[in-house]
Amino acid sequence: MLLNQPLPEDLGGLLRKEGIDPNLAWLCVQTDINLSGLYEPIYLLVLPERLTTVGQPGSNGQGVLRIDLKRADIKEFRTRQGVGGGFIDALVDGVYVEVLAYSNARADLFHKVAGKLKDWAENKEVSVTAEDDKNPRKCPVCGLTLEFPGDVCRRCVNRGAVFVRVLKLMRPYAGKAIIMMCLVLASIGISLIPQHLVRLLIDKVLAPEQAHNPALDPEQAKRWLLGLVGALFGTHLLGAVIGMFTGRLGSFVGTQVSYDMRSRVLNHLTRLEVAYYDRYNVGQLMARVAGDTEQMRGFVHQLTSGFLAQLIQLVVVGAMLFSLNWRLGFFTLLPAPLVFLAAMFFWKRIYPRFYRVWDANSKLHGTLNTILSGIRVVKAFGQERKEQDRFGVSSAYIRDSSRGVEYTVSAFNPAIGIIFQLGGLIVWYVGGQWVLQDKLLPGDYSGPRFTLGMLMQVLGYLWMFYGPLGSLTQLTSWLTQFLTATQRTFEILDTPVQIVEAKDAKRLPAPRGAIAFENVAFGYNRHEPILKNVSFEVRPGEHLGIVGKSGSGKTTLTNILARFYEVDEGRVLLDGADVREINLADLRRCVGIVLQEPFLFRGTIYANITYGRRDATPEEVMAAAKAANAHDFIMHHPLGYDTYIGERGAGLSGGERQRVSIARALLYDPPVLVLDEATSNVDTESEQLIQQALARVTAGRTTIAIAHRLSTLKNSDRIVVMDDGRIVEMGTHEELMVLGGLYHRLVKIQTELSREPSVDALVVEGKK
Amino acid sequence: MTDRGTPEAVIGPDPTKVRFLTPHMCRIHLGSHGALHVTVANERIYGGVYAAYAFPVAYPDKYIALIHSVGRGRDIEIGIIHDLNEFPPADADLVREALARRYFVHTITKLTSIGWKYGFIAVEAETDKGPVDFLMRWQYDRAVDYGQDGKVLIDVDENRYLIPDLRQLPPGELADLQRYIYW
Repeated sequence: MLLNQPLPEDLGGLLRKEGIDPNLAWLCVQTDINLSGLYEPIYLLVLPERLTTVGQPGSNGQGVLRIDLKRADIKEFRTRQGVGGGFIDALVDGVYVEVLAYSNARADLFHKVAGKLKDWAENKEVSVTAEDDKNPRKCPVCGLTLEFPGDVCRRCVNRGAVFVRVLKLMRPYAGKAIIMMCLVLASIGISLIPQHLVRLLIDKVLAPEQAHNPALDPEQAKRWLLGLVGALFGTHLLGAVIGMFTGRLGSFVGTQVSYDMRSRVLNHLTRLEVAYYDRYNVGQLMARVAGDTEQMRGFVHQLTSGFLAQLIQLVVVGAMLFSLNWRLGFFTLLPAPLVFLAAMFFWKRIYPRFYRVWDANSKLHGTLNTILSGIRVVKAFGQERKEQDRFGVSSAYIRDSSRGVEYTVSAFNPAIGIIFQLGGLIVWYVGGQWVLQDKLLPGDYSGPRFTLGMLMQVLGYLWMFYGPLGSLTQLTSWLTQFLTATQRTFEILDTPVQIVEAKDAKRLPAPRGAIAFENVAFGYNRHEPILKNVSFEVRPGEHLGIVGKSGSGKTTLTNILARFYEVDEGRVLLDGADVREINLADLRRCVGIVLQEPFLFRGTIYANITYGRRDATPEEVMAAAKAANAHDFIMHHPLGYDTYIGERGAGLSGGERQRVSIARALLYDPPVLVLDEATSNVDTESEQLIQQALARVTAGRTTIAIAHRLSTLKNSDRIVVMDDGRIVEMGTHEELMVLGGLYHRLVKIQTELSREPSVDALVVEGKK
Repeated sequence: MTDRGTPEAVIGPDPTKVRFLTPHMCRIHLGSHGALHVTVANERIYGGVYAAYAFPVAYPDKYIALIHSVGRGRDIEIGIIHDLNEFPPADADLVREALARRYFVHTITKLTSIGWKYGFIAVEAETDKGPVDFLMRWQYDRAVDYGQDGKVLIDVDENRYLIPDLRQLPPGELADLQRYIYW
């Protein structure tokens, strides 16, 4: 077991000499670094009444015992984050003593150890079980640290299986895909015909004597010429038609598979819990949905005109070359390794330099954007010269990185051209000799029968052979990129939905809005609880205010209530039912949230207000907007409710956005309304309007309001005061003021601050 | 003089002002169980102190904060050492040791190999703490700038590997690195 590892024999012996029996330890775990920040195996042993850390004696003159503490002397334990690692500290005699250090590779393990030590210090029953070995952040097969619990291990993922899954995605379009592949084969077959026709043209019509063919009479020659040119035209035409159909089919299948994948990924993303979005930034996910799914289209393209087609062409043309003349076939292959090596060199060494150019371009755009967007600040501080210099550095970075690439490419391209020509030159020389000898010394010539037409045919195939050879060197690079991108997409699809609806979930047809938190503990990171044993009740229709310092757990309470996150311990009840047992749609229907930063979508104001209730009538929408004090400003827009607003409500002021979001919540008409700092980001005049609106919206509705401005909560039925994840005070405003605790202190601070003249207040007064 | 009461009882210096610690006003020493202590003249002894850089890149030997934990996640800054070299060597060494403990960073001395493996960048390197091999995600935030010309690589476990100055790498190693870490 990870938390009960065997102590090395020699250390055990040394420890016994110190009077400590290691067999009594109920916890023995090895850390990787010592308290000097150097790699050294150090063992933490916890016995019933003492704790020791043990290391090999000798280093820095230290003995076997590094730390030795009695339980009775320890008041508490904590973990402390360093840079690249962390510490377990013990509070001894009023001083935090460093017990051990660990690198970040073992952070999860030692967070678990710290949890055990806390219980041990408090004399609680504690033990080590096999369950403790489970670490959802580590791959159970290879031990690689995963990005988040339940993530797919990239090391262990079966890449072949990824390929199979991609092919399975094409199953609905199997018929079209088979036709497409048949057309690809036909296209390759047809591409071989023109070379054969050219050979006939030369050997039969244009220079029959060099092939020892009877000369045609002029009329016959004209007919042959016309026929062969016509056949050439027909072949090219057929090739073009097949190419067109292949392209259309490829495009259809590719775009359709990409479309299917995008839809599946987005459907899954919308089902994943909010915690998933804490782990990934939106930019990353956008790249996955937009970019990685597009790789599917690239895959189909590779089948039709990319690597698969080229591979087939390489084999077929190679076979043709050898069947025409194996010796020339061999000469054709001579420069092939060079072509291959040169292409490998290009993709491995030169191509990555393009990344630097892209990076340089994006940095230049970033710099330019900053300078031009902030031009007022630049001018105000007289920093034009400095910004010009800064831009100069970015610009020089592009110049230098572009030169680096272009100088190399300009040398590389002629070099690779020479290699390609080399094969042609060998074939010209050897094949040309055979043609000459056969022509000039037909009686003495004992070499292969070789005509000018055959030579031209071989040269034609040669270029068809080298082309795919160069491209195929990118196959591994493309394959890695494709499999990685596809795997990233599958990772999303494979991410289990953590917050799922219970079987036989309870319906809430007529919710009353009674809420109860029972001994709730929760942390976004399990090792750092945000809520600690929180219990309280809210009656239907009651107004509950929540106050506390930033980070005290106020918003977390509401996140738990809406079941955006699952509690670690305890339970949350809505109308007497555990929220985990309630139908999710009913639960979300019960709880409406107005956030500090209202989120509006691109679209009309009407569409935003009806976001939660698409069936609302215009009368209901206007009534909601009126109640939210939004109607008047909406009507000032020329297009009224049909006014289009941009992303995140661009085009509206902060206060206007908030009032639209209140109208949205009002139309949704939830029995429980959560107001999370709903007025903290708006000016005083807007706040007044919003407060009036909220007074109407919250009447008779269970309301939980979080606010920093305590004056807005003064009229709440009850106020909960939170500190460090715990409820420290609860009561009415008057009761809490009499209590003289944290709430009283916060009110006092705000009263003193509000004596300062406010610009907002002056503006409002000026308007009166 | 050490406060043996509850940690919450501690009252620190004025939190609105930066206080520079000088050798004349304070002494740095070890207390029980090897905990770092700082005695500030006419004030008190602070136990269980740790050190943190204010400018780890620009001034690695200057502007070092000494911080005292008062419990329940609260820390107070005792003051800032303007220049560690002004302190007696024994005191300065204790601070340097405390910094070495807090900043567990491998300094790369030789980049043995770098490649693409399992969808990660796989790195093998020699460091001041011995040879290492690690996997890192190919993302901008996993190789961050360190001063003008340095980089800090962050592996899947959040361990840190410092290349103080890319220009000091041999050309071959730099080219290998920039094939992947091109930003």
